[in-house]
Amino acid sequence: MVHVELQGFLNPTGAFNCTAMAWYLVLTYFSLLLCLLSCIYHFSRIIRFGKPEDFSKPSGDLKAAIIYSYTGAMSPTKKESAYLHLPTYTAGIIYHIGTFLSIFLFILILFNIPFPEIIKWGLSIFLFLSFLSGMGILLKRFFKKELKELSNPDDYISNILVTLFQLMTIIFLYNNTVFYYITTSILLLYLPLGKLKHTIYFFAARYHLALFFGLRNVWPPKKIK
Amino acid sequence: MEKITESQIEKGLQILKSLQNGKFISHANSCVHCGLCGESCMYYLAEKKSKFLPAQKVDLITSIYKKYFTFTGKTFPKLVNARELDEKTVNEMIDLFFGACTMCGRCNLHCSIGVDIAFLVRTGRIMLTEMGLTPASLQSTVNATISSGNNMSITTQEFVDTLKWLEEDLRDEVNDPNASIPLNEKGKDVMYTLNPREPKFFPLSISAMAKVFYAAKESWTISTEMYDITNYAFFSGNLKEARIIANRMVKEVKNLNVVNLVLAECGHGDRAFRWEAPNYLKTKFDFNVITSVELLAKYIKLGSVKVNKEKIKEIVTLHDPCNLVRNFGIVDEQRYVLSKTVSNFVEMTPHGIDNFCCGGGGGQLAMSEYNERRLKIGEIKANQIKKTGAQIVVTPCHNCVDQLVQLNSHYKLNVQIKTLAEIVADALIID
Repeated sequence: MVHVELQGFLNPTGAFNCTAMAWYLVLTYFSLLLCLLSCIYHFSRIIRFGKPEDFSKPSGDLKAAIIYSYTGAMSPTKKESAYLHLPTYTAGIIYHIGTFLSIFLFILILFNIPFPEIIKWGLSIFLFLSFLSGMGILLKRFFKKELKELSNPDDYISNILVTLFQLMTIIFLYNNTVFYYITTSILLLYLPLGKLKHTIYFFAARYHLALFFGLRNVWPPKKIK
Repeated sequence: MEKITESQIEKGLQILKSLQNGKFISHANSCVHCGLCGESCMYYLAEKKSKFLPAQKVDLITSIYKKYFTFTGKTFPKLVNARELDEKTVNEMIDLFFGACTMCGRCNLHCSIGVDIAFLVRTGRIMLTEMGLTPASLQSTVNATISSGNNMSITTQEFVDTLKWLEEDLRDEVNDPNASIPLNEKGKDVMYTLNPREPKFFPLSISAMAKVFYAAKESWTISTEMYDITNYAFFSGNLKEARIIANRMVKEVKNLNVVNLVLAECGHGDRAFRWEAPNYLKTKFDFNVITSVELLAKYIKLGSVKVNKEKIKEIVTLHDPCNLVRNFGIVDEQRYVLSKTVSNFVEMTPHGIDNFCCGGGGGQLAMSEYNERRLKIGEIKANQIKKTGAQIVVTPCHNCVDQLVQLNSHYKLNVQIKTLAEIVADALIID
């Protein structure tokens, strides 16, 4: 049976005792807490600011438009940003799956959940692919003129931090290293500051786009007869 | 280069602050600078310069937002390219928001994230207008509407004379001395609006619609007080003036006590009134608003008018106005009408909600300072038309008609440009 226990919470009472905890774990928990609080703050802003009231008479199916916004509209067959840029799109998808997988593994690591060797191999191979995708996207930003002109330091830092986080996750699967915690902490602290916060705003943006197109009966798109 | 004062900056920032809502902050914080939006924008496709990437336009407005309204932008401006609202920024804003975007919204659909880029550009235009920096040519169009009641400054006498002349023509054409273009009649089912380009340059499109109304035995009227459906103030970002213009139309609908307001073939005007006016007037309309495209489709569907598609044998293609398809959801109706009125129809590639803008939208036709750029980006549309082999290009938008007429001459397309009403009128069978 797997013994589940949050790292650092080792005393019998389960009480939080940061003085008995390794410094890197304290740093990680602190970063995680700050990150979560900041994300809650950003999310609460979206709610607090609210959506603009629409007085026009709706003509579409709003519910279907919202569902479409998160599903069909995201399909690579529907977006030029995907089907005209398939290598970048594929790398981006792998990279995002790798990122979410790394976050999931981070939670498992915090809870001391061990992985069977075979799963470790599978995870490492996928995360390595994801790491390469991240590197590819980074190199593209460095060398493609138009992308370079569009980029600011935050774009590079965000890409580097996430890619490094994935690399550290692979390493951690085989070798428990303090650098994993440091990298993860920096990423968690940085996430709410720069463009990585699109993690939260992305969903709201797609919701608002669905409101616009849904009320007007643009989404879901009609099949042209 | 525009010189700006502290007071202008203050006004710009105040309006930006007041425009912040859940929609704005969601879109302003979502762009990841992937740069994959370029191929969806005709400015970028035509110019192939980084500054024309839709993402650069997003970055321009969000860089100001970050600088004044976010922790990171205020504390570490260089990290996120947070920019001061100064002369350099303002001049870039004028060039990109007014001169390099028709707000067609094509990039919105294709953005990898789903950022409403046209909405952010319009926010930038609202800021510039609040700062008194609307391009003079565009503002003069708005001023003409405010002072004369229509954007072409047509006098009432001139307008009435034109309609009387068209009425005589209609009587001859349908061979009925009682056929009429009713003016200012109260209690009718339909109040029909116009784009002032019609009485000024394209009167035959009014004749065409009058002929359709005659065939459908419609109870209709045109107001000589307020017939202009366009609202360039909506595009310039001047909400106060947009309200004045829209309010006049609402008042006239009530004054004439009509049941349905029928919007002329004018993409931006239709959108600005049907979808946007209720929001800037903060009111729900208590009368029906439909486009003439929907009405034409309804007439044919219900058999109110009879048409013969064998009358039009030329190859016909359709240009979808951005404001009608992407910002209004009218995609099938114009196709249905064409399926019944022309015998040889060819779609452009791409079409429907993916269609490219003609290049004349977003007030571009009114801004002569960007004429060269407007014609250059129009090459995409010209090539689309060429590839269809069409002899007639139909578009239910007078603004698009204007741009297409210019593209026709500039790129030697040798096509006829027609509105949907003109096509229906040509295919009409009058008993």
